[in-house]
Amino acid sequence: MAKKRILLVDDEKSLTTLLKLNLEETGNYEVRVENWPEDALAAAREFKPDLVLLDIIMPRLPGGNVAAQIDGDPQLKGTPIIFLTAAVRRSQVEDNDGIICEHPCLAKPASIDEVIAMIEKHARK
Amino acid sequence: MRRLATGGVDSKPIQILLVEDNSADVRLLQELLKEISLVGFVLTVVSRISEARTKLAEEFFDVVLTDLSLPDSRGLSSFQKLHEAAPTVPIIVLSGSDDELLAASAVREGAQDYLFKTGLNSHTLARSIRHAIERHVAEQKLVRSEAFYHSLVEHLPQNIFRKDLGERFTFANQRFCQLLGRPLDLIIGKTDFDFYPPALAAKFQQDDRQVIRTGQIFETIEENVAPDGEKIYVHVVKTPIHDAKGKVLGTQCIFWDTTAQKRFEQQLQRKNVELAASEAALRKSNEDLRSAQLQLIQAEKMESIGTLAAGVAHEVKNPLAIMQMGVNYLSKKMPEGDENITMVLQEMKEAITRADSITRGLLDFAASKQLAVKPEDFNQLITDTLKMVRHELNEKRIELVKDLAASLPKVAVDKTQIQQVFVNLFINAAHAMPSGGTLTVRTFARQITKSTHSEGSRSSAHLWVGETALVAEVDDTGGGIPLEHLAKIFDPFFTTKPTGVGTGLGLPVSRKIVELHGGTIDIKNQPDGQGVRVTVLLKEHRDA
Repeated sequence: MAKKRILLVDDEKSLTTLLKLNLEETGNYEVRVENWPEDALAAAREFKPDLVLLDIIMPRLPGGNVAAQIDGDPQLKGTPIIFLTAAVRRSQVEDNDGIICEHPCLAKPASIDEVIAMIEKHARK
Repeated sequence: MRRLATGGVDSKPIQILLVEDNSADVRLLQELLKEISLVGFVLTVVSRISEARTKLAEEFFDVVLTDLSLPDSRGLSSFQKLHEAAPTVPIIVLSGSDDELLAASAVREGAQDYLFKTGLNSHTLARSIRHAIERHVAEQKLVRSEAFYHSLVEHLPQNIFRKDLGERFTFANQRFCQLLGRPLDLIIGKTDFDFYPPALAAKFQQDDRQVIRTGQIFETIEENVAPDGEKIYVHVVKTPIHDAKGKVLGTQCIFWDTTAQKRFEQQLQRKNVELAASEAALRKSNEDLRSAQLQLIQAEKMESIGTLAAGVAHEVKNPLAIMQMGVNYLSKKMPEGDENITMVLQEMKEAITRADSITRGLLDFAASKQLAVKPEDFNQLITDTLKMVRHELNEKRIELVKDLAASLPKVAVDKTQIQQVFVNLFINAAHAMPSGGTLTVRTFARQITKSTHSEGSRSSAHLWVGETALVAEVDDTGGGIPLEHLAKIFDPFFTTKPTGVGTGLGLPVSRKIVELHGGTIDIKNQPDGQGVRVTVLLKEHRDA
């Protein structure tokens, strides 16, 4: 089974490093990290991910805009996106059946098991 | 008419008008005046009264010398006509030996002197003229002075009278006459007993006698009753009257009504008292205002803390997420079987969970909640919540007593939120009884008899008088809350629990939730010192 390609976009460098480690540790994922939100679209075009894990509150370009860029790109259209953010509370996510701004959402801090469960649920097969 | 000037150069000459038709007498007087060398004279001679009157109207004279038998007038009327024409000029009558009686009566009428023409010498003439002028000047001074004092006495706005040693009135000014309603001649010679009631008259006379005895000024403000029964105030000044040798002749009294002034003073005093009272009222309402303001500030502070807390919580979540990932990674990579490593990782996981729950509590406190209010069975809600804390209660060997009223009306609450409140309350109670005790939970319905709306509270959905409230009482048998803590227990971050056990947010969040429901939460030490009672009031469900 081919590894799933995960693009990780978050300005928190420590978080992306550790999350990448955790995901790759499973042997199931190939992870690319992008800490600069304005470079996210280019990275996605090049990497062609099966799923994007996207922070919302980032300097210069918020995650919502990055999501709009990806959604609007003819090549990338339909790429699953999961918001991973401290901007929402777990209870809010639950109240909205896991969907916020038309995308699935995970409240920080989330355990690696929760992240993997979400990836498995939404990633392109 | 002839005019003659004689003698002296040093001083102003004396102007003399001589009224004489006998040319021999005129010559005699001219001769005599020439002999007087000390002063100069200017002599104007006329022979008729009519001419004299014209002269007196036109020119100034120091003195008039006149014969009484003239071509156009005879006898006393000659003097009278001249005196009338110039009342301020002294007149000396020249008399022959045949009419001395007539001359004497002219002096009684106001002439300064009379002189016999027969045997008249310059010395006598000079002395008579000088005396006539000097006496006349003195008289004029006296008249002016008299007029001055008379005017003062009659025009002062005071009542003035004098009495002799026998208490008889000797003088009264017009104002006092008007006061007594009698003319002066009906007052002179009378006493106070003729005008005043006996007691008052006796009092007045007693004051007079004191002045006579001591020779001192007597000054007082009398309180009298006017004929119409009204109380009046009179300022009185009594002084002794002395003769030239200092002997007391009687008393003088000046008095005036000060009732208006006194009334004004009393009114002022009353106004002052009123002012002081309204100032006190103002100060009180100021204090009320300040206390209301403090309550508002407190409410505002809570809001600010909420906003701040939300910001902080958000910033804390990212590092927590990183730690979470780190611990997850290490858990997988660490060799199994090392108890210490397992223990350390477990501790770290729990620490992350705890920090996460604090940030979540903060956000709960800060968020203005949307409530999903539904009719709920109050007893069922309490029972379900108790199950959630069963473990905690068992661990501390706490006995549970449920005293739940049957057939309660439904309560209008967001079940999840209110359960969070009761979890907090039960956990607090458990923490208050670390070595066991009894937790008593009571429910019942109660009708509201007074408004529960507190000043400074933002909630408008409070319990109204007449409404039915569902009441839950949570009693513990712990040590109670120290008085100094009672006022702070609803402040965010106030906690007495050890670090890691309490966040200081349980009660503030609980109160916020209850108030959002329009209910109240109240915490008191039990009167017998046996632990704490928390009382929660919530609204009965009503079909809209």
